[in-house]
Amino acid sequence: MSFIPETLLLAHHGTDGAKRAEAAAFACAVASRTRIVHLFVVPDFWAGMQGDDWLNNAWTRDAFAVHVERQLDAEATMEVDALAAHCMARGLTCNSLVRFGEPAECLLAVAREVQPDLVVIGPPRPKGTLGYRSRMDLEKLARGLTAPLLIAR
Amino acid sequence: MIYSHKSPALLIIGILMLMWGWLNNAGSLDGMQGWLHPGAYKEHKQAVEKHAADAKAAAEKAAAEGKPAPEAKPMKPSKFDGTKAEQAQLAYILGGLFAAVGVLVLVIPKKEGHLDYYAGVVPGMAFIVGIACAVRWILDPMFANWGKAAQPTLGWDFARIMNLNYIILGIVLGMIIVNVFRIPAWANNGVRTARLFLKTGVVLLGTLYSAAELAQLGALSVVMIGFFVLGSVWLVLLWGPRMGASNSMTGCSPSGVGVCGVSAAVAASPVVNAKAVDIAFTLGTILLWGVLCMFTFPTIGQLLGMGPVQFGAWAGTGILNSAQVAGAALAFDPHGIETLKVAEIFNITRVLFLPLIVVWLAAWYVKREVGAQKVDLGKVLVAKFPVFVIGFLFMFLLSTMGVFAPSGHYQGKYFAHEQVKEDKLLKEKDLAALQAMLPKVTKPEETKALQDLIANRKLTSREQDHVLKGVAKAAKDDKAVKDAIGNANKAAWHDSKIIRAFRDWIAWLFAIGLTGLGMQITVASIKQAGGKPLIIGSVVGTIKAIGSLIVVLLFVKEFV
Repeated sequence: MSFIPETLLLAHHGTDGAKRAEAAAFACAVASRTRIVHLFVVPDFWAGMQGDDWLNNAWTRDAFAVHVERQLDAEATMEVDALAAHCMARGLTCNSLVRFGEPAECLLAVAREVQPDLVVIGPPRPKGTLGYRSRMDLEKLARGLTAPLLIAR
Repeated sequence: MIYSHKSPALLIIGILMLMWGWLNNAGSLDGMQGWLHPGAYKEHKQAVEKHAADAKAAAEKAAAEGKPAPEAKPMKPSKFDGTKAEQAQLAYILGGLFAAVGVLVLVIPKKEGHLDYYAGVVPGMAFIVGIACAVRWILDPMFANWGKAAQPTLGWDFARIMNLNYIILGIVLGMIIVNVFRIPAWANNGVRTARLFLKTGVVLLGTLYSAAELAQLGALSVVMIGFFVLGSVWLVLLWGPRMGASNSMTGCSPSGVGVCGVSAAVAASPVVNAKAVDIAFTLGTILLWGVLCMFTFPTIGQLLGMGPVQFGAWAGTGILNSAQVAGAALAFDPHGIETLKVAEIFNITRVLFLPLIVVWLAAWYVKREVGAQKVDLGKVLVAKFPVFVIGFLFMFLLSTMGVFAPSGHYQGKYFAHEQVKEDKLLKEKDLAALQAMLPKVTKPEETKALQDLIANRKLTSREQDHVLKGVAKAAKDDKAVKDAIGNANKAAWHDSKIIRAFRDWIAWLFAIGLTGLGMQITVASIKQAGGKPLIIGSVVGTIKAIGSLIVVLLFVKEFV
């Protein structure tokens, strides 16, 4: 393969699809040449996750918010550390970015920031598979990205 | 942190409300108001014509007798006038307040502090208040008219059957705003104050109960909630591990499914160390169920012919999420708040159970999970105690002491006494309407209640009043029967002005609060419903809803 990406943007948040994206990214990357930029998105639906709670006092709501933040932080840290270790094992440099928002919008924003040569994402999660309902809007990506997009199968 | 936004939005809302008040006062909106309230407008026009004819006749009579024309008496304000005046008054007060604060928001420099915080909150409050006003004053009567207009074609009044009144419409509009348009940045902080309106509404509800009523409803709610809430929690704790759910997932679900929905799950999640995915699945499930229940419960209640006590007890026990309990109760009975009174007692009982359930779950989790941190149970009990319930009890105490109205008000003192004046007794046309209704009722207690009313020309007991409310509901579009029963009810109860005002405020507070809560229900969070919490929540929620319906229909009398 003659195309060697200098900067590869990988959207990865620990799902099966993300693991396939990781494998595809490693297949494209070249040790000591490619820098992997790992994007971990905390989906924006979490902003509405206190729902219509109205009975609790501020103390209880704050305790809940702190608890959720810690849980999300722990999840993000685990994924970020794991991917960094995999990259290191392959001689790839890795920068991690954690963003909060709508996945496709976050990816586009980071792509504008880091100007990748290649963007790699996982396949859409098959229907019925358990997980967060927060999908990457492929049309938005196709319209907004200037770099090639690779969707792992 | 700076909370306020330099936006003219608040000033614009204020000016729009002031204009609404002024246009109503000037009569410029009479055409629109007449279209929105056709019945009241027709009566108003007839009263105006009659008044003019009487004045003309009096003038002609005076002229014939060679006397000077008598001074025209002012016309007694009609229901239509009352509706306009009420809207204008509220619009002036709120519009003036919002416009004044709106100017301050634009003028005062942004600087961290209390002033900035309040300047950041008021626009959002005005946003939900404005929407609630628009829904109550325009959309509610509009949908009622459309429902009636579509009845000949559809064969049913869709607005009445689907309970498309100001409560449901407010919540739905709130949900549309947050999911389709998004809440504007200047309103974001204030929209969250919806819970303040609701809690204030619950506190004020304390003024509407008699001691006997509160004791009886309280006892009923403790039995129902005790059985169904503790039963649901126990069932989830038993079933969750057998389904292979983790301890944290099992610990997170029962509070939400069993006690008071989202609020309970929010309170319990930290103590059972719920994982993010457990929280997402559980809250999504509760929100999904809550919204479904809010639409289906009132319709089922109407179809089963339930009264306020039965429906309030059922909604208060069977609906998963506490916000939707208030919504369903008001959707079922939007123009009186009898159902809300019952449902909220159940809600309060649920909330009082919450700290105990959280302690139970914490103890359960610590016992089962290796390495789980011990929780200070006393601290949890104190932290989760719903302080606003003290406000409710305080208002109840004040009203019981006769601060707001004489104690007779709560008992309906004009049932047994011979104190009802002749002009308050039912008139011939009322009695004729009731006589015509008599062959149409099927239940023996309804026949007896109607016969007694016709014989006495007034209500003689609270039981009779409750039975006749059901008759009035069944009369559907028979206005004469509804009016006759309404007149008899008014003569017996002699509502105090202060209590009437409290009822109005409570209805407004809940309407505003629920509109704001609607803005906090996102489709993205509902979509997270899934996994084992969805299965557990659906099964336990269905068992609770059907079980409580059966118990209510079998054992709860309409009269408490």
